Amino acid sequence: MTGSVGQFLVLLSLLVATTGAMIGFYAGRVRTKEAVEWARKFAYLYAACMIGATLVMEYALLTHDFRVGYVEQVGSRAVPMWVTIVSLWSSLEGSILFWGFILAIYIAGAVRFTKNEHADFMGDSIGVWLSCAIFFSYLIAAPANPFGLVANPPFDGPGPNPLLQNHLLMIIHPPFLYLGYVGMTIPFGFASAALMRGRLGAGFLRPIRASLLLPWCFLTIAIMLGGWWAYEVLGWGGYWAWDPVENASLLPWLTATAALHSAIVMERRGVLKGWTVTLVQASFLLTVLGTFMTRSGVFNSVHSFTQSAIGPTILVFLAAALLFAIVLLSMRIDSLEAEGRIDGAVSREGMFLVNNLLFVLLTFTILIGTAFPLIVEAFKGKQMSVGRPYFDAMVVPIGTALLFLLGVGPALPWGRAKQGQALRLLLPPAALGVLVAGAGFALGSSNFWTLLTLFFGGYAAHVTMAEMWSPVAARMKRGENVGTAVMQAQVRRGRRRFGSYVVHAGAVITIVAIAVSSTMRTSRELQLEKGQTATVGKYGVTFLGAEDRQEPHRLSTIARFRITKNGKEIATLAPRMNQYQTMREPIGSPDVYSTLAGDFYISLMNVDVPTQRVGISVYQTPMIAWIWISVILMGLGGLIALIPARAPRVAIASEPVLPGGVPAES
Amino acid sequence: MIVFVFLALLQLKVPDAQQLVGAPAGKKLAGAELDQKTMELSQILRCPVCQGLSISDSPSIMAANMRDQVRDLLVQGYSQEQVLKYFEQSYGQFVLLKPKFQGVNTFVWLLPLGALLIGLAITLVKMNKLDAAPAAPAPEAPADDPYVARVRELVEK
Repeated sequence: MTGSVGQFLVLLSLLVATTGAMIGFYAGRVRTKEAVEWARKFAYLYAACMIGATLVMEYALLTHDFRVGYVEQVGSRAVPMWVTIVSLWSSLEGSILFWGFILAIYIAGAVRFTKNEHADFMGDSIGVWLSCAIFFSYLIAAPANPFGLVANPPFDGPGPNPLLQNHLLMIIHPPFLYLGYVGMTIPFGFASAALMRGRLGAGFLRPIRASLLLPWCFLTIAIMLGGWWAYEVLGWGGYWAWDPVENASLLPWLTATAALHSAIVMERRGVLKGWTVTLVQASFLLTVLGTFMTRSGVFNSVHSFTQSAIGPTILVFLAAALLFAIVLLSMRIDSLEAEGRIDGAVSREGMFLVNNLLFVLLTFTILIGTAFPLIVEAFKGKQMSVGRPYFDAMVVPIGTALLFLLGVGPALPWGRAKQGQALRLLLPPAALGVLVAGAGFALGSSNFWTLLTLFFGGYAAHVTMAEMWSPVAARMKRGENVGTAVMQAQVRRGRRRFGSYVVHAGAVITIVAIAVSSTMRTSRELQLEKGQTATVGKYGVTFLGAEDRQEPHRLSTIARFRITKNGKEIATLAPRMNQYQTMREPIGSPDVYSTLAGDFYISLMNVDVPTQRVGISVYQTPMIAWIWISVILMGLGGLIALIPARAPRVAIASEPVLPGGVPAES
Repeated sequence: MIVFVFLALLQLKVPDAQQLVGAPAGKKLAGAELDQKTMELSQILRCPVCQGLSISDSPSIMAANMRDQVRDLLVQGYSQEQVLKYFEQSYGQFVLLKPKFQGVNTFVWLLPLGALLIGLAITLVKMNKLDAAPAAPAPEAPADDPYVARVRELVEK
């Protein structure tokens, strides 16, 4: 019964999406108010069907209705309720349904927020969104149907993938990733509509930018959560292995970041229109490619545990979307030409150009590195690897250059910088750079790239702070007190500007933390007997004993260690091995003592409870916690920039404009 | 005698090194230098049973054995190239995480470089062309309202 309701809703959503897409494109042609209204209605109706179907699935999971195919596959009466709820995205069929659910929310949201605006573009936008919705509804209806009926329902099921149950981060990582991935559909629709209409006015840039920035925030945090999960679970003391699925999440993020920057130049100077649109289209296409990489199983990855035969279907969709984007772009290439110009290389817009070059280069390099083994195997029949040493060699210089730009760009003025002006602007922050690099050297860093990163980092930090402060200072000069000035400049008026510098501050810390943590990590392997103590640097590790613990869905072997620093006890760590009933190999669960200065990480290699012997790996990594914190800061900065500034019309009456006034939001 | 037993044990760990890569060509390593080199090489060798992790990063037993093999080869005086060649002959090119600059693999190194050069050329040409033109006041950013427009005007002077 439950299954049939779900099945019905999915089929209905397929019908609604198809009809709605046609109405949308029709509305785009005739551009009458009524037609657009109808397209909107169908968009809402699609959202209702998809959200309904997802709720039905949750209901089936919670009531352990094993007549429903997906519940039979991932449900279990033994697991805690929260595991049951999140098992919606623990396997392929459910996660595609979840994908549809998020797409529905995004579409409804986009339709809602553009209620009275952009009537010219909305028909085509809705048409494109619902066309994507057709594809996912089709996936849910046929090849990845979660509502299939089970003829002889069992009393109990196996439960979801143990990896999902092993750590809390694995529960919040997928929704964030989906919110990031699926959200790219909305700017893709807006951009496509603009291309179909043949013009990209400044007014229409705003919905593209906003709808790109929101999923960007989610994707930023999702990538970090994925890395954090790997760090907390996989037990090798690192968080990023340049695994194909990790790369897949990074690719659209890079192009979206580039697009957010080029959109600023487009807004200010009227150039880079075609380029910005291309980047927006590419971000969406890369999310589809990423989905293919994750789902198809052609890539070896620690993360792809939702593989299936839907790979080719996704590839067809990718090809169609790619063709659509290329045709649109080439059709409209003339109308996307520059209406403005760039005045000089040494200027803020010049730096934006280089920024875009580097982001796209990074995307290209990672894409090549990820796909290359596949290509070689397909054409030469040889197996080869492209791994961390390759990516490090390529990405570190580009990343360092980006950090350099992050400092130089905002310090340069728009338009042509005057002789000497550039130098004067760039000198003071360099002092802080030297200071930070010096401090790093004193603390034992000798890696060239790390020291360079520290120099650029200190430099960029100075510039970012100064840029954050300058509107406040300008207001204070006019006699406002600090509180009002901050309030007015950052919170009320310049949220977008303020938000983007918060993102920059986060990015500076992230890059520095990545450089320091990856080059200054130390590792040790230890064999210990019960009561034995080993010394690792300033730390002492005492093995207190190991025990087995039977839990409802797993058997855990827990080893306990007392950690001392300079003789003082600081923590007890309990890394474990979890043996799930449904898995042959046990899953390690390392334990970390984390401080802002650095992490002390113990991973269990082997453990023998009867003889009380353990083999452990101990990793000491400085600054790693800063990565998680600073990336969250980046996401928050993006959200701040997203909140629209208060209607400026009010401001004209209340706000006299004085010479040396407030810098424009940028 | 003890030395011989020790050597025999070493030979067991890497039984066929001599046949595969010839006589040791480097100097015998020990102490901190040995640790350093073992670590370096472990980072570019792929653990065959894992998903893309190096034997330095992998917690698997296989990776631990391979790390021991690397160490032993270095102790015996095999050079870095010989160690890598030894593993390549045993497991195929698959084991090298850093693709060798040869044959079809050169593309994975040269394509990004080519992209950089082309991108740089396009960017420079674009900026130069515009730079050469007489400087004209940049067109105003489309401002949606007079207040923002006025502020921009003042700031950009």
